[in-house]
Amino acid sequence: MADLEKLITVAKETVSRDDVKYLIGWRQGTYGFRVSPHFITEPEEADKLIFSPLCSNNLATYLTLVEKLPVPRGQEADTRKIALMVKGCDSRAVVQQLVEQGIKRESVIILGCPCQGVVDLAKVEEKFPAGLEQVAARWDDGKIVFQFSDGEKAVPREEVLADKCLRCRYPNPVLADTLLWEEVEAGSSSDEYADVSELEAKTPEERWSFWEAQFSSCVRCYSCRNVCPMCYCEDCILDRLNPTWVNRSNNISENTAFHLSRAFHLAGRCIECGECERVCPVNIPIMTLNRKLTKEVREKFAYEPGTDPASKPLQASYRPNDQENFIL
Amino acid sequence: MNNKPKIGVYVCHCGMNIAKTVDVEAVAEFASHLPYVKVARNYSYMCSDPGQLLIKEDIKNEGLTRVVVASCSPRMHELTFRKTVAAAGLNPYYLEMANIREQCSWVHENREEATAKAKKLVYAAVAKVRLLEPLQEKEVEVEPSALIVGGGIAGIQAALDIAAAGFKVYMVEKTPSVGGKMSQLDKTFPTLDCSACILTPKMVDVASHPNIDLMTYSQVEDISGYVGNFDVKVRKKARYVDMNKCTGCGACAEACRLTGRIPSEFNEGLGKRAAIYLPFPQAVPAKYTIDPERCLMLTRGKCGKGPKCMEACAAGAINFEQQDEVVEFKVGTVIIATGYELFDASKKPEYGYSDYPNVITGLELERLVAASGPTGGNIVIGEGENATVPKEVAFISCVGSRDASVGNEYCSRVCCMYSAKLAHLVTEKLPDSNVRIYYMDVRAFGKGYEEFYDRVRREGVRYIRGNPSEIFKRGDKLVVKAEDTLMGKPLEDEVDMVVLATGLEPRKDAREIIDILKLSQSADGFYLEAHPKLAPVDTATDGVYLAGCAQGPKDIPDTVAQAKGAASSALILLSSGKVKVQAQISNINEATCRGCGYCVEICPYGAIDLVEVNRMGNMVQVARVNEALCKGCGACAAGCFSGSAQQRSFKDQQILPQIAVLGAMK
Repeated sequence: MADLEKLITVAKETVSRDDVKYLIGWRQGTYGFRVSPHFITEPEEADKLIFSPLCSNNLATYLTLVEKLPVPRGQEADTRKIALMVKGCDSRAVVQQLVEQGIKRESVIILGCPCQGVVDLAKVEEKFPAGLEQVAARWDDGKIVFQFSDGEKAVPREEVLADKCLRCRYPNPVLADTLLWEEVEAGSSSDEYADVSELEAKTPEERWSFWEAQFSSCVRCYSCRNVCPMCYCEDCILDRLNPTWVNRSNNISENTAFHLSRAFHLAGRCIECGECERVCPVNIPIMTLNRKLTKEVREKFAYEPGTDPASKPLQASYRPNDQENFIL
Repeated sequence: MNNKPKIGVYVCHCGMNIAKTVDVEAVAEFASHLPYVKVARNYSYMCSDPGQLLIKEDIKNEGLTRVVVASCSPRMHELTFRKTVAAAGLNPYYLEMANIREQCSWVHENREEATAKAKKLVYAAVAKVRLLEPLQEKEVEVEPSALIVGGGIAGIQAALDIAAAGFKVYMVEKTPSVGGKMSQLDKTFPTLDCSACILTPKMVDVASHPNIDLMTYSQVEDISGYVGNFDVKVRKKARYVDMNKCTGCGACAEACRLTGRIPSEFNEGLGKRAAIYLPFPQAVPAKYTIDPERCLMLTRGKCGKGPKCMEACAAGAINFEQQDEVVEFKVGTVIIATGYELFDASKKPEYGYSDYPNVITGLELERLVAASGPTGGNIVIGEGENATVPKEVAFISCVGSRDASVGNEYCSRVCCMYSAKLAHLVTEKLPDSNVRIYYMDVRAFGKGYEEFYDRVRREGVRYIRGNPSEIFKRGDKLVVKAEDTLMGKPLEDEVDMVVLATGLEPRKDAREIIDILKLSQSADGFYLEAHPKLAPVDTATDGVYLAGCAQGPKDIPDTVAQAKGAASSALILLSSGKVKVQAQISNINEATCRGCGYCVEICPYGAIDLVEVNRMGNMVQVARVNEALCKGCGACAAGCFSGSAQQRSFKDQQILPQIAVLGAMK
């Protein structure tokens, strides 16, 4: 069970350290069910930290988004550590970043938050049409309890949890310096990729008409790429003009090229936090694309990214018994 | 580019190879209208002198700045045309080849379609060629020394040749003495020279040569680096004997509590040695070694009231505290001369090698006939008072060779001749004996071999064509069951001794070197040469050469010849002092590299490292290519997420226009 007191105590201790630059956690947002990332540098700011079923954001993204500004002459680069609160899925992002050397282990302090699942805002707002009132939430047995000003409302977790949480196999952080509270039972969740199999069963024409409709609605805001904790090339090939891999015009051809490039660059790397799909303003089922590749990777190479800090990245490792029957 | 490129396109007929299926004139005519093309010609043989002259003249007279040759695979003639282009003063990498032979005329029959495809390929080459950048071939210095792995006759010969040319040689031998398998032989075919008499002087030379650093009882742990600059790490195993103090007197071995109780490897287990031993009397260096797997002191920590060898050693050379020592050094070139292993005769259970003491291998008989052997040169069965002299002796050839059932399809090349030699030695030593050789074919291909085979037959050795199916015991005799295929008769032959002519196999530890040096194996398991005919001592790894049976079964003359060949190849490198490295190599844009290290893992040549660089005051990690190591395979470029790794002459910007025109053409 989330122990806020412990969280705040540990957070205060952590940001007080000389070798810590800041701590990234969650706090209540400004309206409705929204939650904001909370960057704290001073101990007193820790009081606002929360951990609740509303804390969907994968904060690991901020580790690689840190902009390395030019250091003025005579000064030294700030190499202090960043402390980060992670759920199970978020921790897999951190592990994969470590495996890919996107971050250094010594430059990050991982505060592990065993998690009982976060909500899908769309599902919540369907039940409780959004108002401006700030609403908090908590876990209570098999239910999610929403705390409105006029009282609490409990909803069975299955009705409001995000799909990724309902099939979650890693509710506990796979890597943490401090575990903030007791681990939760992993439960019997399994992931059979039913969503992917359903699409696979269709004919290529049916599949294409499905994706054609989805990609046509894409506004190419690149939110899915920007929020992804694994997309951290400082100079993304999708932005590049020479050579132009993806043209800037918004049409089905370029949109398809964008989505397929993005998905392929995540093959063997996606840790299924679902952030891309969460932030998509036009609700493209991006995770279904990612999960098709995840499924292939798991079936063909028995590989699951972000689970072992000592492993090598899938595409950078070779075993003599690797399958190759799918190579044309 | 300030000036517009001027491209020359040259379409080759390759006699009729291309012209038969492709309308070369139409292709040249088509090319003449392509953007930036100044001249387009076709000619019967572009690679010929007049063909090359066409290109050179056009570069001079027409001021061409780029050249496209549409002909065969670049593997065939890219180098030729690069030289042509360079001779006319252009950068040799301003050349692009369109492969209209292997990838077009040879694989198509329809002239119209093949011509259309050739046009496409030429268009793609034209689209790319103007974007090519000038490249420079760099040279790296060569460390003037060689490493030789293996101290058999191949390694010894190569070492002596390189040392004689004035270069430093490091020789690493796994066992306590150099000499290899040849030192175990009694006589050598077909001249019957005494093996020891011709080998030991060379062994002594290796040890005493001022240019040779001999490391016996040592193993190569790691070789990194690249042609001209290999970093070698060698583990000198603890001998527990101080090499500087040991005089080789042998008092320790006599004193050892295990004297005469440990099977001697040198005598193929027929003789016995002590736990402290000299492999054989002529061993080089003549220094004793303690067997760490047998010595009581080393295995149990105690040896009676105290180790007797220590008491016996007047020089005080024995030191049980001795540790392995790891030495590191640099060499410019490496010769692999690790030799072979004998086929394990117990894998052919029908011959009863594991069951009957009088079924022996050729090498065991070799030790029996040798004057320095365990029986002082007497051919006997059994030991001591029970020893008997065989009268009826049968040889079986091709044991473990030319035999798919044991996985060795190849001929071991020496068994026919060593059987003949041993048969001769048996008839010489035991004039009353009857010797016969069961064979499939007799391969007496070398100089003087056929003559020797004839001589042995004249001496009364019977050759029976047939592969025995079984050997079993009847009374105190062995029965060889076979079919005389020339007579068409089955026979059961009662004999006293059977000698199995076991074949040669790759060493079981061959993989160690493969992993260290990224060598390849041929299907038979021996190390693969770069080309079976024209580069038989080279490997796919530049600066690494093969000598002797490590590359495949060989007799001594061939081994010595190959060792001299390998030494010569190594010397070309060493004496030129410089080596050119690839120009079309990978380059990483450090400004966009995200330092993920995928390329480092992917690179099959270990050519990429992650380095810390200062990016505007921030220390960041980026990948960097070692230009001397990179072979330009392009794996890093394929694996790079951010497109930061690019292979020169195959950059995205150079390839995409090719794809674009291929896609645009109908």
